[in-house]
Amino acid sequence: MDDLIGLAWSGTVSGCLYSMGAIGIVLIYKSSNVVNFAHGNLAGLAAFLVFGFTAGIYGNLAWGPAVVLTLAIMVAVMAASYLLIAPLVFKSDLTSTIATLGVGLIMQGLTQLMFGANVVSLDLPIPAWRTQLGPLPIDAYDLTVLAVTALVTAVLYLLIERTRIGIAFRAVSANPFASRVCGLQLRRVHLFSWIVAGVLGLVASLLIVPTTFLSSTSVASFMLQAFGAAVVGGFSSLPGAVVGGIFIGVVMNLLSFYVAAEFSNTYLLLVILLVLNIFPKGVLAARGGVRV
Amino acid sequence: MSDSLSNAVVSSPLPEAAEPSRISKPAGGPWLRGAGGLVLLALALLPLVAGGYWTFTLGICFAQAVAIISVSFLVRYGGEVSIGHGVFMGAGAYTVALMEKYLGLSLLAGLPAAAVAGGLLGMLFAFPSRHLSGIYLAVATMALALALPEVLLHFSEVTGGYGGLYVNLDAVSGLSRAHQQYYLPLAGLVAVVLLLRQFRRSRQAMALLLIRTSPYAAESFGVRRSWARLSCMALSGSIAAIGGALLAFSSSTVSPNSFTLWTSIFLLVGSVVSLYSMSVLGSLLGGLFLTLIPLLLAGAGDWVPILYGTALLAVVLAVNALPASLRARLGERA
Repeated sequence: MDDLIGLAWSGTVSGCLYSMGAIGIVLIYKSSNVVNFAHGNLAGLAAFLVFGFTAGIYGNLAWGPAVVLTLAIMVAVMAASYLLIAPLVFKSDLTSTIATLGVGLIMQGLTQLMFGANVVSLDLPIPAWRTQLGPLPIDAYDLTVLAVTALVTAVLYLLIERTRIGIAFRAVSANPFASRVCGLQLRRVHLFSWIVAGVLGLVASLLIVPTTFLSSTSVASFMLQAFGAAVVGGFSSLPGAVVGGIFIGVVMNLLSFYVAAEFSNTYLLLVILLVLNIFPKGVLAARGGVRV
Repeated sequence: MSDSLSNAVVSSPLPEAAEPSRISKPAGGPWLRGAGGLVLLALALLPLVAGGYWTFTLGICFAQAVAIISVSFLVRYGGEVSIGHGVFMGAGAYTVALMEKYLGLSLLAGLPAAAVAGGLLGMLFAFPSRHLSGIYLAVATMALALALPEVLLHFSEVTGGYGGLYVNLDAVSGLSRAHQQYYLPLAGLVAVVLLLRQFRRSRQAMALLLIRTSPYAAESFGVRRSWARLSCMALSGSIAAIGGALLAFSSSTVSPNSFTLWTSIFLLVGSVVSLYSMSVLGSLLGGLFLTLIPLLLAGAGDWVPILYGTALLAVVLAVNALPASLRARLGERA
């Protein structure tokens, strides 16, 4: 039983990070109808940039400035990525989704070119503190992840519910045509969602690194879990992405402990296929029909 | 009624219905056919002059071209994008290798089995997402591509683990091994293209294209969307498996390393570069791109993804920038 609780706890912690990745994917999909397959590669590049700025490859900065600098670069990179595929976005969802794979390939190549294909370790500035709360082993990393996730989700909630650009985002995701008629600039909303997604990707990829390691492909495969989370959540629901992320985190942890550890991607595939069969529109979807 | 219809049109802001009109005519003009014939003739005679290195590389290139066609098929007929077609290739390749290992049968027996295996796998895989939009299929194919190496490595007594398996049996007697590895994939490619040309005139192809143009019209004619999805994936998976089987034969070996997520993404790059072509010429272009670029850039491997990504974006953006009439003509060549 203690095993189970401990596994569920650590699954929830990594699930929070999957949620953060999934929110980025869903934001982009809701606003521009594009599935951004470059999400993992972009986030991987971001984590490597922080590594490069702190480990002496491109400078020897402290953590704070390195993250701020990377944040600025990522905003520029996300904007550039969106602008690259911008001519396609209104013409064909399929073509723009394919084009994001091109962006992903370029980002992947850049990461390998700049940092090599080696596995590196990146230590977060988190104090080594741990305690035991009943059956729960809790350490500073867990609390950091939970706190950051809560903070990010709260800020995002306020951003979407309370600001003008957030309202515009909701309008565009509900009905792009009507929003354009009302004078909203769709491009600006798209850009907003891409940049926010990039920032979320940066945060998530930095926080996942201590549990795995950092290589040119590790973050991309972490983001696969985020894609799984988005599917579980219904792909166009932000709360669904959060629930989906935690669900995926816990289920993956339990399966790799109780069945076998080397099948993580296979489990994810099976979970996706199973969920698609049972909850075709995601776990939080309101059931409804289509008028013909 | 009319109200809700117009509503449906508005609420899907990007109808991709314009696409099928691009495929409305099956074959290209006489010029292109002539060029195609000449290229085929040249390819048939090539082993007489070229060395083993080139015939080997081109053999692999033909097999890749078949796999590229399978991705293009899915884009054209299904309007879906897959980044997991390496798995169907892998299914075909391992079917051939395992039939040789356990039954002692050559490619000629393995190839039909591979096609059936690929088709069944495609159907099985598309079943859970048969009612849903294509994004779910795309994400699921990504998970599929990542899952395959894990499964192959786990069953290493059967699949040979990291080392993989060898495909050594001759398929045709009386022809040197190097020539078999060249001519069989070439024959396979031509056969697949001809079959698809025949398929284009069939009832099933019409139904698939109709459902892309207007799902509502298709459903009222009794074509079910779920069936279209399943049959499309099955056919595409089966073509990919044929490509994989030919690849296994022409490279004499199969291993988990040849069927990773990257393989699948590169297949899509090849398909885009060939403009989703279903012809010998177009798919060969994609195949050449995929086989030659890594050879040319052998010393600078990290540039390969950058180059592929740039090529993909460049082609997609350039096609998009063309005027609509030119774009329609490009599509007609398929």
